[in-house]
Amino acid sequence: MPEKNLDQTRTFAQMVSNKQGWVLNPDAEFTDSLVEGLMANWNRYGYFLCPCRDTEGSREADKEVICPCAVSWKDIDEYGHCFCALYFSKAFAASGAAPKSIPDRRFSKEK
Amino acid sequence: MLDTLTYTEVDGPRKDRQITVYALSTCGFCKRAISFLNDKGFSYRYIYMDQIPLETKNQAKKALKERFKDDVAFPFAVIDEDKHLVGFIEPDWVNTLGVGRS
Repeated sequence: MPEKNLDQTRTFAQMVSNKQGWVLNPDAEFTDSLVEGLMANWNRYGYFLCPCRDTEGSREADKEVICPCAVSWKDIDEYGHCFCALYFSKAFAASGAAPKSIPDRRFSKEK
Repeated sequence: MLDTLTYTEVDGPRKDRQITVYALSTCGFCKRAISFLNDKGFSYRYIYMDQIPLETKNQAKKALKERFKDDVAFPFAVIDEDKHLVGFIEPDWVNTLGVGRS
Protein backbone atom coordinates (compact mmCIF):
# COMPACT_ATOMS: atom_id res chain seq x y z
CA MET A 1 0.00 0.00 0.00
CA PRO A 2 1.68 3.26 -1.08
CA GLU A 3 2.22 5.74 1.70
CA LYS A 4 0.27 8.99 1.73
CA ASN A 5 1.60 12.44 2.43
CA LEU A 6 -0.07 15.33 4.23
CA ASP A 7 -1.42 16.90 1.03
CA GLN A 8 -3.04 13.63 -0.08
CA THR A 9 -4.51 13.09 3.37
CA ARG A 10 -5.86 16.63 3.56
CA THR A 11 -7.41 16.17 0.11
CA PHE A 12 -9.13 13.01 1.36
CA ALA A 13 -10.57 14.81 4.37
CA GLN A 14 -11.66 17.75 2.25
CA MET A 15 -13.37 15.43 -0.23
CA VAL A 16 -15.23 13.66 2.57
CA SER A 17 -16.44 16.92 4.04
CA ASN A 18 -17.49 18.27 0.64
CA LYS A 19 -19.39 15.09 -0.23
CA GLN A 20 -21.24 15.00 3.07
CA GLY A 21 -22.01 18.71 3.23
CA TRP A 22 -19.75 19.15 6.24
CA VAL A 23 -16.76 21.45 6.70
CA LEU A 24 -13.36 20.83 8.18
CA ASN A 25 -12.72 22.15 11.68
CA PRO A 26 -11.71 25.80 11.13
CA ASP A 27 -9.06 25.55 13.87
CA ALA A 28 -6.17 25.05 11.46
CA GLU A 29 -3.68 23.84 14.08
CA PHE A 30 -6.10 21.26 15.47
CA THR A 31 -7.11 20.10 12.00
CA ASP A 32 -3.50 19.85 10.88
CA SER A 33 -2.76 17.57 13.83
CA LEU A 34 -5.73 15.34 12.95
CA VAL A 35 -4.71 15.18 9.29
CA GLU A 36 -1.23 14.23 10.44
CA GLY A 37 -2.77 11.54 12.64
CA LEU A 38 -4.88 10.20 9.78
CA MET A 39 -1.78 10.08 7.60
CA ALA A 40 0.15 8.22 10.30
CA ASN A 41 -2.66 5.69 10.59
CA TRP A 42 -2.81 5.12 6.82
CA ASN A 43 0.93 4.67 6.68
CA ARG A 44 1.03 2.12 9.51
CA TYR A 45 -2.30 0.29 9.05
CA GLY A 46 -3.17 0.85 5.38
CA TYR A 47 -6.48 2.61 6.04
CA PHE A 48 -7.65 5.89 7.52
CA LEU A 49 -8.36 4.77 11.06
CA CYS A 50 -9.95 7.61 13.05
CA PRO A 51 -7.05 9.40 14.75
CA CYS A 52 -8.91 9.35 18.06
CA ARG A 53 -9.62 5.61 18.08
CA ASP A 54 -7.14 2.80 18.62
CA THR A 55 -6.90 -0.19 16.34
CA GLU A 56 -8.37 -3.58 17.22
CA GLY A 57 -5.73 -5.14 14.99
CA SER A 58 -7.34 -5.49 11.57
CA ARG A 59 -9.26 -3.56 8.96
CA GLU A 60 -12.26 -5.81 9.50
CA ALA A 61 -12.27 -5.19 13.25
CA ASP A 62 -11.79 -1.45 12.73
CA LYS A 63 -14.33 -1.01 9.94
CA GLU A 64 -16.70 1.10 12.06
CA VAL A 65 -13.95 3.57 12.92
CA ILE A 66 -12.42 4.10 9.51
CA CYS A 67 -12.80 7.77 8.62
CA PRO A 68 -15.50 8.93 8.21
CA CYS A 69 -16.53 6.63 11.05
CA ALA A 70 -19.90 4.88 11.07
CA VAL A 71 -21.25 7.07 13.86
CA SER A 72 -20.05 10.41 12.49
CA TRP A 73 -23.39 11.27 10.89
CA LYS A 74 -25.24 10.84 14.19
CA ASP A 75 -22.54 12.66 16.15
CA ILE A 76 -22.57 15.59 13.74
CA ASP A 77 -26.38 15.71 13.93
CA GLU A 78 -26.34 15.67 17.74
CA TYR A 79 -23.16 17.54 18.67
CA GLY A 80 -22.29 19.47 15.53
CA HIS A 81 -19.01 17.66 15.07
CA CYS A 82 -17.64 14.15 14.75
CA PHE A 83 -15.90 12.25 17.56
CA CYS A 84 -12.42 13.54 16.78
CA ALA A 85 -13.72 17.00 15.73
CA LEU A 86 -12.26 16.87 12.24
CA TYR A 87 -15.65 17.38 10.60
CA PHE A 88 -18.20 20.03 11.59
CA SER A 89 -21.71 20.64 10.42
CA LYS A 90 -21.94 23.96 8.61
CA ALA A 91 -24.22 25.29 11.33
CA PHE A 92 -21.78 24.35 14.10
CA ALA A 93 -18.92 25.98 12.23
CA ALA A 94 -20.98 29.13 11.74
CA SER A 95 -21.81 29.24 15.45
CA GLY A 96 -18.16 29.70 16.36
CA ALA A 97 -18.53 27.19 19.21
CA ALA A 98 -15.53 25.16 20.26
CA PRO A 99 -15.75 21.37 19.94
CA LYS A 100 -15.21 19.16 22.96
CA SER A 101 -14.78 15.48 23.61
CA ILE A 102 -18.04 13.63 23.18
CA PRO A 103 -19.03 10.13 24.30
CA ASP A 104 -17.97 7.34 21.97
CA ARG A 105 -21.32 6.25 20.56
CA ARG A 106 -19.97 2.75 19.98
CA PHE A 107 -20.14 2.22 23.73
CA SER A 108 -23.74 3.34 24.14
CA LYS A 109 -26.58 0.85 23.90
CA GLU A 110 -28.41 3.02 21.41
CA LYS A 111 -26.05 3.75 18.54
CA MET B 1 -0.49 -4.79 34.96
CA LEU B 2 -0.62 -1.03 34.50
CA ASP B 3 2.51 -0.65 36.63
CA THR B 4 4.50 -2.70 34.12
CA LEU B 5 3.98 -0.21 31.28
CA THR B 6 6.71 2.24 30.32
CA TYR B 7 5.53 5.79 30.83
CA THR B 8 7.09 9.09 29.82
CA GLU B 9 7.54 11.30 32.87
CA VAL B 10 6.99 15.04 32.61
CA ASP B 11 8.30 17.23 35.40
CA GLY B 12 6.45 20.37 36.41
CA PRO B 13 6.31 22.61 39.49
CA ARG B 14 2.95 21.18 40.63
CA LYS B 15 3.44 17.76 42.18
CA ASP B 16 0.39 17.63 44.42
CA ARG B 17 -1.56 15.27 42.16
CA GLN B 18 -0.61 11.91 40.74
CA ILE B 19 -1.65 12.05 37.10
CA THR B 20 -1.32 9.36 34.45
CA VAL B 21 -2.61 9.98 30.93
CA TYR B 22 -3.35 7.14 28.53
CA ALA B 23 -3.37 8.77 25.11
CA LEU B 24 -3.06 8.26 21.38
CA SER B 25 -0.23 10.00 19.56
CA THR B 26 -2.63 10.87 16.72
CA CYS B 27 -5.52 12.31 18.74
CA GLY B 28 -6.29 16.03 18.89
CA PHE B 29 -8.03 15.96 22.26
CA CYS B 30 -5.14 13.96 23.73
CA LYS B 31 -2.79 16.72 22.62
CA ARG B 32 -5.12 19.29 24.17
CA ALA B 33 -5.12 17.39 27.46
CA ILE B 34 -1.34 17.16 27.56
CA SER B 35 -1.00 20.85 26.68
CA PHE B 36 -3.42 21.66 29.50
CA LEU B 37 -1.28 19.80 32.02
CA ASN B 38 1.85 21.49 30.70
CA ASP B 39 0.24 24.94 30.81
CA LYS B 40 -0.92 24.39 34.39
CA GLY B 41 2.52 23.20 35.44
CA PHE B 42 1.64 19.69 36.58
CA SER B 43 4.04 16.83 36.90
CA TYR B 44 2.49 13.81 35.21
CA ARG B 45 3.26 10.75 33.20
CA TYR B 46 1.76 9.59 29.94
CA ILE B 47 1.83 6.73 27.50
CA TYR B 48 0.82 6.60 23.85
CA MET B 49 -1.26 3.47 23.65
CA ASP B 50 -0.95 3.27 19.86
CA GLN B 51 2.81 2.89 20.22
CA ILE B 52 2.83 -0.25 22.36
CA PRO B 53 2.16 -3.84 21.27
CA LEU B 54 -1.50 -4.61 20.57
CA GLU B 55 -1.76 -7.33 23.20
CA THR B 56 -0.21 -5.12 25.87
CA LYS B 57 -2.55 -2.30 24.94
CA ASN B 58 -5.59 -4.56 25.13
CA GLN B 59 -4.51 -5.82 28.56
CA ALA B 60 -4.06 -2.24 29.76
CA LYS B 61 -7.49 -1.21 28.46
CA LYS B 62 -9.05 -4.23 30.17
CA ALA B 63 -7.32 -3.33 33.43
CA LEU B 64 -8.53 0.27 33.24
CA LYS B 65 -12.07 -0.80 32.41
CA GLU B 66 -12.21 -3.25 35.29
CA ARG B 67 -10.72 -0.80 37.75
CA PHE B 68 -12.85 2.21 36.90
CA LYS B 69 -15.98 0.45 35.59
CA ASP B 70 -15.95 2.67 32.53
CA ASP B 71 -15.30 2.29 28.82
CA VAL B 72 -11.86 3.34 27.70
CA ALA B 73 -11.62 6.18 25.20
CA PHE B 74 -8.77 8.62 24.80
CA PRO B 75 -7.47 10.58 26.53
CA PHE B 76 -8.09 8.52 29.67
CA ALA B 77 -6.57 10.12 32.77
CA VAL B 78 -6.12 8.55 36.19
CA ILE B 79 -5.91 11.07 39.02
CA ASP B 80 -4.56 10.09 42.44
CA GLU B 81 -5.22 6.42 41.71
CA ASP B 82 -8.94 6.64 42.44
CA LYS B 83 -10.43 9.17 40.02
CA HIS B 84 -10.53 9.17 36.26
CA LEU B 85 -11.42 11.41 33.34
CA VAL B 86 -12.42 10.23 29.87
CA GLY B 87 -11.93 12.61 26.96
CA PHE B 88 -10.87 16.21 27.31
CA ILE B 89 -13.54 18.61 28.48
CA GLU B 90 -11.57 21.42 30.08
CA PRO B 91 -14.07 22.33 32.84
CA ASP B 92 -14.04 18.69 34.01
CA TRP B 93 -10.24 18.68 34.17
CA VAL B 94 -10.27 22.06 35.93
CA ASN B 95 -12.70 20.77 38.55
CA THR B 96 -11.03 17.42 39.10
CA LEU B 97 -7.52 18.85 39.29
CA GLY B 98 -8.54 21.95 41.21
CA VAL B 99 -7.06 24.60 38.99
CA GLY B 100 -8.25 27.97 37.69
CA ARG B 101 -9.14 28.50 34.08
CA SER B 102 -6.48 30.02 31.87
